[in-house]
Amino acid sequence: MRVGIEVGGTFTDLVAIGPQGIHVTKVPSVPSAPDEGAFNALVASGIPIASIEDLAHGSTVATNAVLERKGFPTAFVTTKGFRDILALQRHGRSRIYDLEYQKPAPVVARSASFEVCERILADGAIETPLDVADVLARLVPALAHGSFEAVAICLLNSFVNPAHEKSLRDLLIRSLPNLHVTISSDITREFREFERASTTTLSAYIQPVIDRYISRFRRRLDAEGFRGRFSVMQSNGGRLPAEAMRANAISALLSGPAAGVVGAMRQAGRSGFKNLVTLDIGGTSTDVCVVTDGTPQLTQEFQLDGLPIRIPLLDINTIGAGGGSIVWVDEGGMLRVGPRSAGADPGPACYVRGGIEPTLTDAHVVRGTVRPEAFLGGRMRIDAEAAARALEPIAKHFGLTLEAAADSAIALANANIVRAIQLISTERGRDPRDYVLVPYGGAGPLHAAKVAEELGISTIVVPPAAGIISAYGLIASDFVLFESMTHRVVADDSAAQVLRDVFAVMRSRALERAAASGLRSDLVFTLTAEMRFVGQAFEVPVPFSEAELESLDASEVRQRFGDAHQRVYFFGGEAAKPIEFVSFRLGVVAPLESLPLLADADEAGSQPRPISLFDSKAWRDAHLLHRAAMSGQAFTAGPALIEDSTSTLYVPAGWMAQLDANHSTILERR
Amino acid sequence: MQERASEERHSEIETRFALDPLDYAVISQALIAIAREMGTKLIRSSYSNIVREAQDASAALFDAEGNVVAQAELIPMHLGSMSEIFQACVAQCPITDLRPGDFYINNDPYGGGQHLQDVFIFTPIFAGNRIVAFAGTVAHHLDLGGGNPGMTPDAVDVHAEGLIIPPSRYTYDRDWNGGPLERLIAANVRVPSQTIGDFYAQFAANAIGTARTTELCVRYGIPSVLAAMSELMHYSERCFRAALRAIPDGTYHGEDAVDDDGLDDQPLVVKAAVTIEHDQVSVDYAGTCGQVKRNLNCPWASTVSATLAAIKSALTSPDIPFNEGFKRPISIGAPKGTLVNPHYPAPVRARLLPAYRCFNAVLKALAQVVPDQVIAGGNDSTHALAISHLGPQGYRVYLEIYGGGFGAGPRRDGCDAVDSPLSNCTNTPVEATDMDFEHFRVIGYGLLPDTGGPGKQRGGLGLFRRFLILKDGTNFATYTDRVRLAPYGLFGGDQGSRTRIEIERDGRVIKLKSKDRVDLRAGDVLTLYSSGGGGYGPPADRDPRLIDQDIAQGYVSASAGAQLYGRKSSAVP
Repeated sequence: MRVGIEVGGTFTDLVAIGPQGIHVTKVPSVPSAPDEGAFNALVASGIPIASIEDLAHGSTVATNAVLERKGFPTAFVTTKGFRDILALQRHGRSRIYDLEYQKPAPVVARSASFEVCERILADGAIETPLDVADVLARLVPALAHGSFEAVAICLLNSFVNPAHEKSLRDLLIRSLPNLHVTISSDITREFREFERASTTTLSAYIQPVIDRYISRFRRRLDAEGFRGRFSVMQSNGGRLPAEAMRANAISALLSGPAAGVVGAMRQAGRSGFKNLVTLDIGGTSTDVCVVTDGTPQLTQEFQLDGLPIRIPLLDINTIGAGGGSIVWVDEGGMLRVGPRSAGADPGPACYVRGGIEPTLTDAHVVRGTVRPEAFLGGRMRIDAEAAARALEPIAKHFGLTLEAAADSAIALANANIVRAIQLISTERGRDPRDYVLVPYGGAGPLHAAKVAEELGISTIVVPPAAGIISAYGLIASDFVLFESMTHRVVADDSAAQVLRDVFAVMRSRALERAAASGLRSDLVFTLTAEMRFVGQAFEVPVPFSEAELESLDASEVRQRFGDAHQRVYFFGGEAAKPIEFVSFRLGVVAPLESLPLLADADEAGSQPRPISLFDSKAWRDAHLLHRAAMSGQAFTAGPALIEDSTSTLYVPAGWMAQLDANHSTILERR
Repeated sequence: MQERASEERHSEIETRFALDPLDYAVISQALIAIAREMGTKLIRSSYSNIVREAQDASAALFDAEGNVVAQAELIPMHLGSMSEIFQACVAQCPITDLRPGDFYINNDPYGGGQHLQDVFIFTPIFAGNRIVAFAGTVAHHLDLGGGNPGMTPDAVDVHAEGLIIPPSRYTYDRDWNGGPLERLIAANVRVPSQTIGDFYAQFAANAIGTARTTELCVRYGIPSVLAAMSELMHYSERCFRAALRAIPDGTYHGEDAVDDDGLDDQPLVVKAAVTIEHDQVSVDYAGTCGQVKRNLNCPWASTVSATLAAIKSALTSPDIPFNEGFKRPISIGAPKGTLVNPHYPAPVRARLLPAYRCFNAVLKALAQVVPDQVIAGGNDSTHALAISHLGPQGYRVYLEIYGGGFGAGPRRDGCDAVDSPLSNCTNTPVEATDMDFEHFRVIGYGLLPDTGGPGKQRGGLGLFRRFLILKDGTNFATYTDRVRLAPYGLFGGDQGSRTRIEIERDGRVIKLKSKDRVDLRAGDVLTLYSSGGGGYGPPADRDPRLIDQDIAQGYVSASAGAQLYGRKSSAVP
């Protein structure tokens, strides 16, 4: 039995796949103790813990620790002269007309920031050796007095030469054995000291959180006779054995949305689709990601609550558009949806839990695309009258009927989602028309077709049990590690040889880490070079596979870079200017032994019947059917609503839906 | 004599279609997204540290007449007056004469521009055989010639400050791309590889704006896109007029001063009279001192930008997008020949300093009527440092600008160590300067305790940046301010600290003037100490817990805490 448990903000989802078929469980999350919710789901599922061979877990515990600043006391150590680096940040402002602007609060206070005497130069040369006596005389006692749990060390230019960071770490561990020590060169080997320090501090800050969480989870599993493999999801779209996460805490941040992308990618992949735009619409937000040729797009530039993180993670764009997003009219009279959300509590007006502002879910109820009696498989009581009352002021303001106002709000949310997708597709040089859309989450399938129309996408792949695909993604993920390294060198005639040499160095480093992390030996490597014209600001990623490295030549390297630059920046494809490598990233993948196969959970379906719903400015006659009632080869022509217990799929006029052999519903535009 | 950026400048063609509220919401957000993408890509594909790391560049989308419709929120100083700079180009070559592939370019302070280093490029966007919009970008170029690398503090006129590109029309394929204009510019700048690269980044960003706007026209139709542009401006105008109506009518006065012109000790006073009348506001700089001999003159476009930024920040919510509509209720006047509206050929390189005093004078005036919407005086200066060296491989020019503490506000302490309100430059990572420059090394960068003016809300802390000079013959040029006149407090708050620049040489400390140029030697240590912001409200009203926290974190020393806030702190020293 393989079991994935995904802890979300509102619900904890469990998917179990085994010889007896597929089992889906949804229980309320316990925000104060995410593992409580996870074990509640296990109990509710009735699965004996001793029978689980593979348990994969995703949790918001790390992300919440940062957002709520509830990590453990952490110290920061850097090169003399630069103690304030975390407070100084990059000296800019994200809101330029805000006179009372404040920078994002670092997770380490100024009073917990320390300096050591040492200086390494850009070429790795040691200008000032590490002053060991000073460390022992001043830093060690200061750390001992501060009752710190963790310390983050980020020294200047350590990405070139980590010697001082390593010596300092060893010194501290010897003197203060209970301290968790994190050095920047273990976390990311890229230049720009503030971003590296921020990443390292975040990692150190959440490490004790992850450590305690995993230990507690593990103890409880062991007590119940668990003998299987216990793994935890990362933000890069792969998982790691739970014990290995203790040395990779930073990669646990933002792992939830990554699991969904992997689940969607695996399920769509079974039907032969490799170029995907994934669309996850939940209660408060929408997460979108681009998967090209079976590989999700990665980014190394991410911010959590304004704090930069520089590790490879899935390039997921999140916007405040979900079922709970509030529909409002701003002071200039413009219609707006989100980013403010009624969340799960009080929730949309139709929940009748005290929410009075109209939300996207209320709009769906008013226009008939969410049926009160079927919402979340009927588990939630919905009051259609309350939804209508909440939307009335909006309708009045624009002189529209209620349903037209609801329709406009949904169309506007769709437009916001379209822009979110363009940001990671069109703006990254990818044309969405070359992709299929894969919607999931409670509301993804409701919005997918209209979003696809705006983007010029003509095929939609809706996975079975679309509402819990993130939990499936956990057990469908490979085991993944990343290595990074800054090594600035001109890409001249020896460019291909540089790639081969770098690969050899990084591969051996990665093999060590993989072994230490308990990964199996049949590993697959991918090398990505971050390249640019010499002296340019930022780099574009150019991927190379292990297999092609041997036969690669310099002109091919140049060609690949030129194409990538042209796609993103609209110039550079032909330019004869010199180019350079700046940094490299090695992905290490230990593939799953076999893919667990998703199918519809066993549910009773009612017979199709006619309904009416409002879309694109008119009431329309539509079919309502349950997903379980869709038969083999038959097409369902829009407009239609197709429900299951986890989500509702809306097939507008002009679209045809058909079940495929892998249990996905394929929508094609006629 | 008065020049007025008045309402009739924005003679509107009434293009208000009955646009569906949904189409309007969707298209207007798309227009804002286009400007943002242009800005991001301009910075990411640039070369010089001043654009790529400091992000001293901006981008905007204009309608077919050159009104700003949407902007990438980067540098307030660039953004306010882009349409004035555009109109100066139109005066040379009418829009109707433009063909696909043409562009406008302008950096002329006496032809609508700001200072020479800020080069504005505008590209017409054609759809359906007509111009539907313009894409515009500006970048601060590292070096555009002139008497000294990076900047020329002792320039006597604008000609000595660098290459003037008057408002003109060129054609990309013919004149750029290896053509005569590119070669002319390359021959007149000290670091052509980076400067020309930054120009290419500007053209590329304009091309992206063009492609995205064209796509939008195809998707929604040209009339809808034009109507949305027009409505977006009306929207900002409506919001702003509503805010103005809530403010009591009257004329309010404020003034502040630049330390001096670098030649003598006379403060350069800027006076503003701000008049609110129903839903309009006017600012008059009559009474401001005359123009000066050195580079502290503020060309008209810069005065306009600074004034607009002050009004935008104080009187509207940050959510109201800045565009031409926001400017319609505002008129600005200044006598010709004053510091804020100088006659040709006065030098203007440090124009941001008098521009900040315009900003301060307007905020001080508004403090009398909307005390809850303004902040105290802050560092409010751009401390520009140019450290350059001529070696066998040619010129190496490092140019960076630093801010300091923000003035405290009615609700919050001033922001610590950040670029000042009219600008928004980021710092260059020390690891980047280590990689790129061999004539100096950054050896310290941090907060300056006890520099924030005490108050109920404390002024933001200033910062220090320390350089070890590694080569003889290193050239240093700078302009700074608040060296003699400290940032002011408001409503009983105390003033912030003063700025200083020092060189440690052979055990001696040499204090530099606020506007200076010196030759440095290997071993010199150069340090900038920038100003902390002024406080807001009486220090005695400060929450004791905040004082304890300031002392515990070292933002305020224990002794200063006792002295400045008149109480013994309970915090452990």
